[in-house]
Amino acid sequence: MILPIGPIHPSLKEPLRLKLKTQGEKVLSAEIDYGYVHRGIERIMKGKTWQKGIYLSERVCGICSYIHTQTFAETFESIAGETAPLRAQFLRVLTNELDRIQSHLLANSTYFKSLEHETLFMYMLYLREPVMDAIELLTGNRVNMGWNVVGGVRMDAKQTHLDSIMKIMLNLESEYDRYVQMFEKGPLVGLRSHDVGKMTRDEAIKARAVGPIGRASGLEHDLRENHHTYRDHLDLKVIWRKEGDNFARNMNRFDEITQSINLIKQVIENLPEGEVRKKIDIPAGYGDWRNEAPRGEVTYTIETNGNLIKNISIRTPSIMNIDACAKYMFNDVATVSDAVATYASVDPCIACTERVVIVDEFGKSQEFDYPNYPGNMKLKI
Amino acid sequence: MLDALKDVIRKSSIHVCLINTGGCNGCDIEVVALLSPRYDLEQYGIYVHNNPREADVILVAGAVTEQWREKLQRIYAKVPEPKIVVAIGNCPLSGDVFNQEGSSVYAPVSDFIPVDAEVSGCPPRPSEILAAILSVGPNAIAARGRQKL
Repeated sequence: MILPIGPIHPSLKEPLRLKLKTQGEKVLSAEIDYGYVHRGIERIMKGKTWQKGIYLSERVCGICSYIHTQTFAETFESIAGETAPLRAQFLRVLTNELDRIQSHLLANSTYFKSLEHETLFMYMLYLREPVMDAIELLTGNRVNMGWNVVGGVRMDAKQTHLDSIMKIMLNLESEYDRYVQMFEKGPLVGLRSHDVGKMTRDEAIKARAVGPIGRASGLEHDLRENHHTYRDHLDLKVIWRKEGDNFARNMNRFDEITQSINLIKQVIENLPEGEVRKKIDIPAGYGDWRNEAPRGEVTYTIETNGNLIKNISIRTPSIMNIDACAKYMFNDVATVSDAVATYASVDPCIACTERVVIVDEFGKSQEFDYPNYPGNMKLKI
Repeated sequence: MLDALKDVIRKSSIHVCLINTGGCNGCDIEVVALLSPRYDLEQYGIYVHNNPREADVILVAGAVTEQWREKLQRIYAKVPEPKIVVAIGNCPLSGDVFNQEGSSVYAPVSDFIPVDAEVSGCPPRPSEILAAILSVGPNAIAARGRQKL
């Protein structure tokens, strides 16, 4: 039988329709429908200046709102062939890692909620609130921070604020391991998570899984390795696991939080002096930039005439991860409640996912109608 | 006597359903943050249930997109009386940044269903959402329940 879940359902946070094909309690396959929160952001952004576009890019997604503005700003900087001042780059890393911590804690708490493990759900949210305080201290807002501008960040960070963030991080680190142990060694949570929703490395490559979902299946790939600030100034090691099940995905996120805390400490200790913003003259042209969002890689492709955005294409990580989940992870799930937990373990973000892709008669996708853009064909109608 | 008893029970047990009708999910995660030990929504007898058939209060977050125009009214009809609608964030009030030429949003949400309370902000703080639910929820639910009897 076909069991529809959603768009409004107790187990879902965001509107999405999950059609599970079941035989008794066993799930055979799944199909996912999106389109409930498509707002047409790329369409609105065309013909706007970057000052207006950056607010729209922030509202692509609420959970990882920070990385969208950073990628947007860095795309414009790459078109101009310049980079932000070093202090601004460090402050961007600081905010990015704080955002990653809160996003991963929220993702894991959602997973525990879908397992009906209320205790760990509450503990994750308890750990998350001080991180939200740190974000608010630094940027002035909890969710949509408005922290990036093209050419740097909006304002400088005060030393007292940095000290407070350091204190919050040390506090988080001191009690963090206890909660990770509860998940790692806990018999109930472990039994429900091990060997459920498995995806092998080959399947992850086929499905183009990105971020912690790909890394939990053995794809050793993190875009932060290639980002110039991380590569040149900070110490980063890609965290990955082999198992590819629900447990591995959540443990991978837990380990990345430890690494993010470490990175924040490095940034605060080595923060260089200098200005945080410089004026950048943007020439006409097009450019693209990729960054590691909490859920994987986010790509911006922008064409500008120097002042206005002529074309923009945003590719967010969740669309690959949700499709990977629907195609490969539901193959041998024992119960419907395990299927919901598997769906929660890929950290779905529906507001990100709502992009329009036009596919022409040759099966090639067409998102960006810049005539000479490599890899894309002009749509002929 | 029966009315008074029902008032007390209704005031202390409010089930909430969150509907994202096309926002950036920033408001959704602030509602999730309400469940955290710091804000502790359940000490006020409020339970985020996400099931419209059992809800007393609907939280609408998001400008209304094409898909939601009919579905929102259908979900509103499914919620049992007495029911309260709280619009969270700028999106249901005005459409926020999405309400521009060329977009596919149909804000405000009050064109589709009656709204009892509005919280502005992008997104509003969790304490503001909590204050809005508490200021309009318990008394209005009790009063409307009495009208039906």
